[in-house]
Amino acid sequence: MENRRKALKFILAAGTLVAIAPLATGRDFFYRKETQELPRQKIANLKELSEPGSYVNFVYPKTGDQKIDSDPFRQFILIKTKDNKLRAFSRVCVHLWCLPSYFPQRGELICPCHGSVYREEDGVGIEGPVLYQTYPTNALPMVELEVEESTGDVYAVGIDGILGYGRNWRDRTPDSMVKRV
Amino acid sequence: MSDRPKTLRDLGESLYKWVVDRLERTPFLSFKFTIPQQYLSPYGYLGTLTTVTFIVLGISGAFLMFYYRPDVELAWLSVKEIEEEVPFGFIMRNLHYHASNLMVLLAVAHLYYQYFSGRYKIKNEVLWVTGILLGILTVLEAYTGYDLILNQRALLAINIGTGLTFAAPVIGPSVAPILIGGGLFDLIVRFYALHVFIIPMIMLVLMAFHIPRFLVLDIPIVLVLVGGIFVAGGMFPVHLGLRFDPSLPEITVPEWYLTAIYAFIRTGTERFFSGALLPLLFTIMFLIIPFVDKSRKLGWRDRPFFTALGISSIILIIFTTLWGFYVDFSQPTPFEQLYIEPTIFYGSITALTLLGFFITYRFITKPSPPRRPTPAKPFVLSSKGLLVATTVVFALMVLTTLLAFQTYFANMQNVSMFNMGMSLILFGLLLHLYRHGISRVAKQPSTTQQPEVKA
Ligand code: FES
Repeated sequence: MENRRKALKFILAAGTLVAIAPLATGRDFFYRKETQELPRQKIANLKELSEPGSYVNFVYPKTGDQKIDSDPFRQFILIKTKDNKLRAFSRVCVHLWCLPSYFPQRGELICPCHGSVYREEDGVGIEGPVLYQTYPTNALPMVELEVEESTGDVYAVGIDGILGYGRNWRDRTPDSMVKRV
Repeated sequence: MSDRPKTLRDLGESLYKWVVDRLERTPFLSFKFTIPQQYLSPYGYLGTLTTVTFIVLGISGAFLMFYYRPDVELAWLSVKEIEEEVPFGFIMRNLHYHASNLMVLLAVAHLYYQYFSGRYKIKNEVLWVTGILLGILTVLEAYTGYDLILNQRALLAINIGTGLTFAAPVIGPSVAPILIGGGLFDLIVRFYALHVFIIPMIMLVLMAFHIPRFLVLDIPIVLVLVGGIFVAGGMFPVHLGLRFDPSLPEITVPEWYLTAIYAFIRTGTERFFSGALLPLLFTIMFLIIPFVDKSRKLGWRDRPFFTALGISSIILIIFTTLWGFYVDFSQPTPFEQLYIEPTIFYGSITALTLLGFFITYRFITKPSPPRRPTPAKPFVLSSKGLLVATTVVFALMVLTTLLAFQTYFANMQNVSMFNMGMSLILFGLLLHLYRHGISRVAKQPSTTQQPEVKA
C-alpha cells in the first residue's frame, strides 16, 4: 500500500514537470530574435574602403523598417585604419549612449557629448569619462566581419560585446574579428 | 424586505441594506474602514495615505494613457502635446508627477515611522516584508514612469538602469536584454508595459497581503493631501526637459529618489558594486530586521541599537541624496563636473554614518527623565465661532473655485491647478469643522460612542 501511494505521488510530480517543461521555451518570447541569432549581412565592398582612414556607417541587423533601423543600438561604423586594417564598431558610446564619430587624421573615435576618445585599433577608451569606467565597460563592442576574397564584399556576422555597455576586450584580439573567406 | 417601501427614503435604505448584505459575500467587507470623528495624527496611518496617493496615480495615469504614445519617436512629443495642447493635460500630468513624488516620500516616512515604533514585531513579519517589497516596487514604478518621457534625463536613467542590470552577477546578462529588446524602440514599449500594468499588478497583489484589516480613513486629511498635490503641481510645474538627442552634451541629475544611487555611480568604481550597493544594503537590513530584533520592546527609547541604526541610515540617505545633486560647475568639462572622487566619498559617508550611529546610541542610552504625556489641550471653538469659521472657509472656497474656473478658461492651467488644490484643502478644513461642530451638537443630549462606518 505504502509503495503504491509513493508511486502515485511520484507520477503526479513527474507529470507536473512534464506538463510544465515545454512552457520553458516561452523564454524566447522575451528576446528579439535577430539580436540573439545575428544574421550574416553584407555591409560594404572593399572598393569603398580603398584609402586608409576611409569609413562606412552601416545599420546592423538591418530590417527595412525605418524606425528600427534608425535606432542608436543598430548604428555601426566600418573603418579602414591607418594600418590598413578593417575594424567595425558599435557607435553607441559606452558612457551615456551618444554617437561618437570617426576622425581619420587622429585615428580615433570621439564622442560629441563628454569627449570620450576610443582608439581605432580595438575601440578601447583612452580619454574622457570612459577612462574612468572599469573593465569591461570601457571599450566599444565590435562587429565580427567576413571578407569575401573573390568579390571584396564585407559581411557582418556577429557582435562581440554588449551594445552601450562594453566588451571583454582582453579576451579577443581585434584581428580575430576579421575572417577572410 | 417584508413591506413595500413607501417613501423614496425607505427605498434608498432598503436598497443600501440589500447591497450591503450581498457585499458580505465578497472579501471587500472583511475590511473595516474607520472614519474618525476627531482629528487623528496622520503618522499612524501614513500607509493609508500612501494607498490614497497610489489611487490618485492610478486614475491620473490611466487618463494620461489616452494621449501618451510609447514610441521612440513620438513619446517626448506626446508628453509635450499633453502639456501644451491637451485641455487639462497640464493638470493631469502634474498631478501624476507630483503624486509619484509624494508616494515615494510617504512610503519612506511610513517605513521609518513603523520602524521606530517597532511595528515589525508581534506577528507582523509578513506585513513588514511585503511593505519593504512594495517600497522597492514603488521606486521602480516611479523610475519606469519618468523614463517614458524620453528626455535627456530619462535616457540617463535608462542608461544607468540597464547598465546596472547588465553588471548584476549571474542573472544580469540574460535579464538586461529583456529590458532592451532590439533597441530603444523596444525598450520604451517594454518600460511602458512594466509601468502601466506589470508593476502595478504585482503591487496590488502585495497590497492584499500588506493592508491590515482595520483601516483609518480621515477624509479631511486625505483632501488636504490631494489638494496639496494640486498646489504643488501649480506652484512647481515639472519641466519637460530636452528631447533625447545622442549628439548633445547635457548635465542632468536623476529624480531625487535616485540621486543617492547616482552619487555612488559618479565615483566611477565598479558599476554593480557602486550602483546597487546602497539599495541592496538597505533592502537586506530592513528585510532581516524583524528576525534579528527579537526583544519584546516596541518603543524606540528601549531599543537604542536599532534606533541608532535607523537614524544613521537616514543620515546616509540624506547625505548621499544631496551629494548626488551636487554638480561642481567650476570644473572645465561636464564629465569632471560630475566626477566624485571615490576615496573622499566613501570615506566621508562611512565616517558620517558611524558618527551618527554612535552619537545617537550614546544619546539614547542616557537615562531620560520619565516623560509624562502632557494631555493635549482640546481646541474648542464656541458655537458662534464655529459658524463664523465655517462660513469664512466656505467663502474662501467659493473664491478659489471661481478663480480656478477663471484661470482655467484664461488658459493659465498652473494657476488654475493651484486654486483647485486650495479649494480642496479648504474643503478638507470645512469637513473638519463640520465634524467638530456636529459631534458637539450630538454630544449635548446624550453621550454617543464613535460610530464605526462600514464601507
Ligand atoms: S556619452 Fe560619450 S562621452 Fe558621454
